[in-house]
Amino acid sequence: MNIIPCEQIEEKIGKLFSCTEVNGYVRIRTPYLYPDGDVIDVFLSEKNGSYTLTDLGETLGWLKTQTVAPKKSPKQRQLIADVCLNHGIELFRGMLTVRLRTADDLTEALVRLSQASVRVADLWFTFRTRAVESITDEVAELLTERQISYDYTERLPGRSGRIWTVDFHTRHPRKSSWIYVLSTGSRAAARGVAEHVLAAWYDLSHLKIGPQGLNFISLFDDTLDIWSAEDFKLVGDLSDVSFWSKPDEFLEKLAA
Amino acid sequence: MIQAEFEVLLSDNTKRVDEDISWSEDEDRSPGVEFRVEVTSDPGYPLFIKGWYNREAQTLSYALIHRGVGRIYGLDLGKDDHNPSCVYVGEKHKHSWNDLVRDKEAHVPADITAAATEPVEVWRQFCQEARISHKGTMQPPPQINLEMFL
Repeated sequence: MNIIPCEQIEEKIGKLFSCTEVNGYVRIRTPYLYPDGDVIDVFLSEKNGSYTLTDLGETLGWLKTQTVAPKKSPKQRQLIADVCLNHGIELFRGMLTVRLRTADDLTEALVRLSQASVRVADLWFTFRTRAVESITDEVAELLTERQISYDYTERLPGRSGRIWTVDFHTRHPRKSSWIYVLSTGSRAAARGVAEHVLAAWYDLSHLKIGPQGLNFISLFDDTLDIWSAEDFKLVGDLSDVSFWSKPDEFLEKLAA
Repeated sequence: MIQAEFEVLLSDNTKRVDEDISWSEDEDRSPGVEFRVEVTSDPGYPLFIKGWYNREAQTLSYALIHRGVGRIYGLDLGKDDHNPSCVYVGEKHKHSWNDLVRDKEAHVPADITAAATEPVEVWRQFCQEARISHKGTMQPPPQINLEMFL
């Protein structure tokens, strides 16, 4: 294989962008992608001889169709503002826009706007429902915020010899705790999750014994209405039950 | 969500939308309009649908969202998609949940024949494909304000 990099770049990168006329705009199809694989398009508009490149609100629109939340959070707004600042982009009525000062600005502005679009769409990775995050990230965030020392996903041998991975091990001046976070998106799976945690607490129950005995806490993600009273009772005999909707009560248990 | 769960959910024909649907301007007052409706079902799946129609870019999306997982099924018109296999699917494509790649893989839905600029007809076809019955009506999106956006 023989690669002549500069020639290939010069000759071929431009061809990765294609143009079509759509509704009075020049739609420029870029080689960049939203996190789900959808292709990022930007649009060139002309008014009285001045040109603007814009995504016509597609980036924020894409984000909206991916999330449970009805509106952007203040943190998301701040992150979007940071992206715009960094790339010299104006956010106008939900549209990422760049005004072209000269004809030569087009290519540079096109890359800049495309990159901003990618960056904003990547806020998807901060969503609670993204595949690589779970409620445990939020719990970790809360513990950090309240300056409670913790370790997470520690592997502990049970009395049976089975290894259990407990979500959090917290250390408060008065007491240390092991925490399992119970979270699922499916009612059908809820009982299985509770039974798994019950088995873990039973197998690890020797860790509660002695002057340094630890609290066992079962923290239910109750943001979805999928748990039944039986699930709480199942783990309640061997651990303290807490609910993610009541973070203050959960924090009190860590100190009790 | 495992594949089998998704298949059962998708094939469940008790999924329904009971309310009328009307499009509203989004929080940014962009060229896009949107709606959100709850999807009820006998098994009680935690689902809702978000719709997005960009009157200037002429793109249309309907996304079936599971509160615990995120988008599990979504139809996009007017923009292309690049699959993990590096194949471009085209301007009419549908994302479906898949164990391996989640919602990143799309295919061409043969049953969707209406254009992006016909959101009401596309909605009817989308519901039919996703086995969702809609008891109410969908209002057409409001005309875009004649003031210039840019």
